Amino acid sequence: MIGALLGRTFAANRVRIIGCTIALLVWGAVMPLVYASFGRQYGSFIRNNPLLEQFTQFGGGDMFSLSGAMALGFVHPFAITVMGIIAVGMPILAIVGERQRGTLEVLLSRPVSRRALIVVVVVVGITALALLLAAQLVSNVVGAYVAGVQDELSVRRLPLVWAMGLLLFGAIMAIALAASVSFDRVMPALGVTLLIVLVSYLFEVIGSLWPEMRGLGDLSLFHYVRTKELLEGTFRPTDALLIGGVMAAALAWAWFVFPRRDIAAPS
Amino acid sequence: MGPLVPPSPVPPTRSPVIAIEGLGKRYPTGRRGGHRDEVVALDSLTIDVQPGEIYGFLGPNGAGKSTAIRILLGFLHPSSGRARVLGHDVVRDGLRIRARTGYLPAGIDLYDTMTGADLLDYLARLYGQPTPLRASLTDRLELAAADLRRPVRDYSRGMRQKVGIIQALQHDPELAILDEPTEGLDPLMQHAFYAILEERRQAGRSVFFSSHVLSEVERVCDRVAIIRGGRLVAASSVEQLLARRRRHVELRTDGDVPDLRGVPGLSVTEVRPGLLRAELEGDVGPLLAAIAGWPVRDLLIEPARLEEAFLELYSPDAPATLPGGPPDPRAGAR
Repeated sequence: MIGALLGRTFAANRVRIIGCTIALLVWGAVMPLVYASFGRQYGSFIRNNPLLEQFTQFGGGDMFSLSGAMALGFVHPFAITVMGIIAVGMPILAIVGERQRGTLEVLLSRPVSRRALIVVVVVVGITALALLLAAQLVSNVVGAYVAGVQDELSVRRLPLVWAMGLLLFGAIMAIALAASVSFDRVMPALGVTLLIVLVSYLFEVIGSLWPEMRGLGDLSLFHYVRTKELLEGTFRPTDALLIGGVMAAALAWAWFVFPRRDIAAPS
Repeated sequence: MGPLVPPSPVPPTRSPVIAIEGLGKRYPTGRRGGHRDEVVALDSLTIDVQPGEIYGFLGPNGAGKSTAIRILLGFLHPSSGRARVLGHDVVRDGLRIRARTGYLPAGIDLYDTMTGADLLDYLARLYGQPTPLRASLTDRLELAAADLRRPVRDYSRGMRQKVGIIQALQHDPELAILDEPTEGLDPLMQHAFYAILEERRQAGRSVFFSSHVLSEVERVCDRVAIIRGGRLVAASSVEQLLARRRRHVELRTDGDVPDLRGVPGLSVTEVRPGLLRAELEGDVGPLLAAIAGWPVRDLLIEPARLEEAFLELYSPDAPATLPGGPPDPRAGAR
């Protein structure tokens, strides 16, 4: 029974997953190429200019090292948007979207528990996010080889970047899931999730570009995936614990709230 | 067209398939003056449905029918009372209940991008059970194989309803809970559906369904429950309900009319030379005995219809509940 639900959920999202994977395959190769083309040439000039220097640390990434370029690629709005299509869109559509369409009651009139539905959404979401992140990293490596900067890349550190990225977007997915089980309509659930993600992203951007507001970055989930540092060999376990804690709290909310909610007739 | 014969008959059992005791549901509507406001959707509902019975659940929009059905299936949590379906508690054993029931929601929504056949396959796989009735149901409801190969988004309202009925019954459930099942079906398909219900009954399966179409309830149901404002106002066999309602009597004679004041259940409303009008409640036998031998030219006794009984129960001066106490299980069942 769960297998059927799992298969159907994958099938319902396959176009989105394939499209996002292709987008990140292309995107991942771009950043090493941009770094090789411009970053190396202009890096010393910009770093020596006090007015421009503060803009070299956007979200923990920059264009003047391969690790910085890859980090920038990870926190770039394009990558966040593509990952968000799955991390936010999938849980929203799978529960409150079905609820609004009226198909959730057809599904839950079967011997399928609400918690089983949560498990299926998490499994499909995490699998898709893992695939997307892997696609971006593989594309990073391909881009580095094409650009001839592969010597600057430590491939053995990529799994850690992958795992931390998965934790970050897993936490965002868990927040979307918690919102999805808490509302009867798509727009409030989507609005609450996007508000949390965008405010968190904004804090990280402001904190990284404006030295006086650096403290805001500490309030952002994105701040704790320090891709450049990870690629350069520094890993802080507390970062993983913090993001994991947010993810666990959001999942716990969904786990306990969803079975206790009344599901009234669709309007 | 093959009959809807289940692969194995249901073993006879004396326990009700649905047993609802004092079920209530209140929805919070906000706070006012420090108090929590609530709306009562269901209030102390008590009914039972016996094995092999077709049970009608009547009431206008907002009466609480769908609330009761949604509690039975675990979509809503009761505020008070309890309910058991197929021997399982609706709060604790929802999965066991849903594994043995089939459900058709009112105005069913389906996955538009799937074909009818894929949709029925998928919904059947979620039960993890074979679908012994699929072929005969599609046959009876005239859903051709070509129709089932088309995406659901291309279906008419009636075709969606047919798919809804099939998905609820294809796995031969012990109990079918159907919310407005004939909505959108043309008269021919409605008759086909009634035949399906009759065969469910003969196979020992139970059906609990809500409807606005009183003629169909009168036609197919063994017993009915009528709710008003979330409260049960009547629960009995259709015959008992009809026997209780007042019928209009018109007697025409050649000359004087008989004195019928002593006839039990008869209330005379108008007497003129050659014409008597009255309201009759209950058995018609004493009236016929009283006019035996009288020169009757014409006698009209309006047939009792469920619709009138329903409207009487919903009239402003109707009692909160029907006299006669709680319903007697299976009393007078057809």
